[in-house]
Amino acid sequence: MRELVEQALREGYFQGIPPEFVYAGAMLLTAFAVLSFFVAPLAGVTSWLERRVWARMQSRVGPNRVGPQGILQWLADGIKNLLKEDLIPAAADRRLFTMAPYVVFVGFLATFVVIPFGSQFIVADLNIGILYILAVTSLVVVGILMAGWSSNNKWSLLGGMRSAAQIVSYEIPAGLSVLTIILVTGTMSMQGIIKAQGWAPWDWLVFYNPFTFIAFFLYFTSALAEGNRTPFDIPEAESELVAGYVTEYSGMRFLFFFFAEWGNLYVIGAVAATLFLGGWQIPPVTDHPLLKGILEFAVFFLKAYFWVFVAMWVRGTLPRVRVDQLMALCWKYLVPLSFICLVGTAAWVLVWPQGNRAASIAMFLLGVAILIRFSLRVGYQIRHARPELYLKPYI
Amino acid sequence: MSAMNEATAGEGAAFQTEDMIINVGPQHPSTHGVLRFVVRTDGEVIRSALPDVGYLHRSIEKIGEKVTWHGFVPYTDRADYLAAMFANQGFCMAAEKLGGIEVPRRAEFCRVIACELNRIASHLISVGTFGQDIGAITPFLHALRERETINNLMEEICGARLTYNYIRIGGVGYDITQETCGRIGAFLDHFELIVDEYNRLLSYNKIFVERLVQVAPISLEDAFQYNIVGPNLRACGLRWDIRRDIPYSLYPELDFDVPVGTGEKGILGDCYDRYMVRILEMQESCKILRQSLRMMPKGPAIAKVPRKFKPPAGEAYIRIESARGDMGFYVVSDGSEYAYRVRFRTGSFTAMGLVEKLSRGIMVADLIALIASLDVDAPEIDR
Amino acid sequence: MKYIKNIAETVATIFEGMAITFSHFVRRPITIQYPDRIEKPVQETLPLRYRGILEVDMDICTGCLACERVCPILCITIGIDMDKQTKQRTFGHFDIDICKCMYCGLCAEACPTGSIRHSQEFEGASYNPAGLVRHFVKEPVPLYKPKKGGETDPTMAQKVEIGLKYLDEFATPDKAGGAAAEEG
Repeated sequence: MRELVEQALREGYFQGIPPEFVYAGAMLLTAFAVLSFFVAPLAGVTSWLERRVWARMQSRVGPNRVGPQGILQWLADGIKNLLKEDLIPAAADRRLFTMAPYVVFVGFLATFVVIPFGSQFIVADLNIGILYILAVTSLVVVGILMAGWSSNNKWSLLGGMRSAAQIVSYEIPAGLSVLTIILVTGTMSMQGIIKAQGWAPWDWLVFYNPFTFIAFFLYFTSALAEGNRTPFDIPEAESELVAGYVTEYSGMRFLFFFFAEWGNLYVIGAVAATLFLGGWQIPPVTDHPLLKGILEFAVFFLKAYFWVFVAMWVRGTLPRVRVDQLMALCWKYLVPLSFICLVGTAAWVLVWPQGNRAASIAMFLLGVAILIRFSLRVGYQIRHARPELYLKPYI
Repeated sequence: MSAMNEATAGEGAAFQTEDMIINVGPQHPSTHGVLRFVVRTDGEVIRSALPDVGYLHRSIEKIGEKVTWHGFVPYTDRADYLAAMFANQGFCMAAEKLGGIEVPRRAEFCRVIACELNRIASHLISVGTFGQDIGAITPFLHALRERETINNLMEEICGARLTYNYIRIGGVGYDITQETCGRIGAFLDHFELIVDEYNRLLSYNKIFVERLVQVAPISLEDAFQYNIVGPNLRACGLRWDIRRDIPYSLYPELDFDVPVGTGEKGILGDCYDRYMVRILEMQESCKILRQSLRMMPKGPAIAKVPRKFKPPAGEAYIRIESARGDMGFYVVSDGSEYAYRVRFRTGSFTAMGLVEKLSRGIMVADLIALIASLDVDAPEIDR
Repeated sequence: MKYIKNIAETVATIFEGMAITFSHFVRRPITIQYPDRIEKPVQETLPLRYRGILEVDMDICTGCLACERVCPILCITIGIDMDKQTKQRTFGHFDIDICKCMYCGLCAEACPTGSIRHSQEFEGASYNPAGLVRHFVKEPVPLYKPKKGGETDPTMAQKVEIGLKYLDEFATPDKAGGAAAEEG
């Protein structure tokens, strides 16, 4: 980004304007492009994909009528919600009520400026990249508390309190897992972390040593909890009485919370892909800059979106945990385990500063073994219980 | 929480808290019907949960006095629409006892087959909605998919999918053809594998187990005092099943086990035991169905019953083992073509009495699990 | 030790559960995408016994009023007029209120010729409640008298046969073994 702007300045464009404004303008323009052309449709298509994925796991079809294969379902939902009456409860705190969805939205949207889509494709490569993401996603707590409090409803208050406790508690294992990675790479900048990995799977940080392997799953679990996803979706527990902190919201305000949730899924996937799975690194296939850029973008997108799929898959499979079990899980299991990972990685880095290639390859083989076992299990299931045979006796 | 209340209340009540009174239902996200609970909670912990029933009262028992004997049988379907065959059978058995009618053997087999299929369907809904209330949305759809097959089978047998009107006074309304028997057999072969898969997806899942063990255990003492019946009673450890202990119809000739709760994963009689008893009962019903299909003889499917059925004056009390427990039918006849009094006694109604006692001290999320585990059914409560 | 056992059990059961949902993900869904993406209309796939909306074949209705008497919810209303001179009885009206009907099948069982029966139709939605009352008499129709020795007119014979085939589905005390007289 920076080089492009410097090149434009050197070639004489933007004559009368001071360079700082040019830089700022370019950054704002890129941010706007990313946010409106990438994030908004992404969150929408994620909502459609979530419904299709759940439906297929439940032996049914899911939305497939609006547009080809139903891919415009989110547009239909969005338009329907825009046309709804804007209800604000009479006894609610108006200012906080209207501001809460925007605060939640900002909390997730502001992370997109440091997501590295490619080696040149990043809005701002801050040298505290990952710390910035952790800090900004904490704004979501403020928004949720505002929503719960200002609705003037006992259920919303309960939901908001639960959610605040949950997000704040799960920041700790998430932060510690991230710290494990930073110990290895020595830098907090997103591009720096990616450059410290290679394109081959055994060069990825997830297989670096057993501790980062465990740290990856700890990070994923904590990130799911922070994003209010099942099995930790107590604040918006749909079958538990009412909808938690979003009870009093209707129309587009309601959709904003879920927009933020689906978009947050992508951020979780992107951070997981950056920190643990090698980011946009591709094998040295081509030198052509445009092709290289597209390939890197595609690889990064696929890696991040795979974890979005896994989050949807987990939501379809697991039941919800109870609030006290949630806290017990965090403080008694995740926090001690992440401390063990941190200390273990610190010791590892002390003993083998350049990394132990043999250990990486061994961990990679372990990962492959787990995948093979999984596919065998899926094959067993498919052969064993076949629902479509005995249905529809006439059709 | 309450200890803190008292402690700080003594210091001039610097930290004063109040109990919240919350209304759960009657518009309920979970599918137990139209029930309302008035819940008094202190934060997350419940002080008391009082049930408020009567939203689905349709005066079925009063209608029984105005409609002829044959005409009342469709109404009994609606007394518990998820397990409609049992209510049909109970009323028809009571009418047959009053009128001294003997049911042919093939009709008894048809009745047993239909009832056990309906038991499987009802338990599928029960465990499915249980999973959904706990948060697992997929197993509910899988259970419904299996129930779809059972609905298709019932459609082949009697023409309706939910409110069957199949069991008539004197026998059954339609005969079961050879083709349908083949399909039932094929369904059973496939269903036992599906139950196994369902167990691995939901019943053994650690999160599910942790949500349910040690939640609201019912002691045997309480079960007797509050008159709990059916799978709820068997989960407390007592091996009591009307089909075995006060046998009716063909059950003395059929060989099946009665599953009880063991409390191996938690306390005896907690929510997990009630859930597992239902899963095991589904497997026992499969056994019963296989035996009946093998043993079914030839013969008429209904006895000769006059169009205008007028049993002699008298009363009859019939107990059957419905999907939700011991269902009692007290029918009084005064010799005319209308019944004098029809009274249903259902297991869900008495289970509601126990909810208040069990709900003290559990959390709000556990209240949902408790109601789902008792498998209460609003039409059965209110009739 | 219990700590490690808890973690191991959690991981193992989650692994199982995810394998099961993934195995369903890759299979074909079982949804029937009614009404437009199916090979043949659902009505043709329903069995003969299916208790859909009632239909009456007025040509073979004898006017015995058995269905009106046996209906537990009183949804059938039949009006029979007698012409004073010719002593001919005709139907004035034969109305069935399908929103009251319980679809119990008692009327179909009571009919001697099988003229009132449940069809395979289940789509009965209407924009106003009056549309839910089905009138089966357009102009006065004479009552049917079953002929001894069978029906000679081929269309009438076909109608009688359809009615009797429908009645054959019900269980009667004389039928041994039911529709398929083989061991069940």
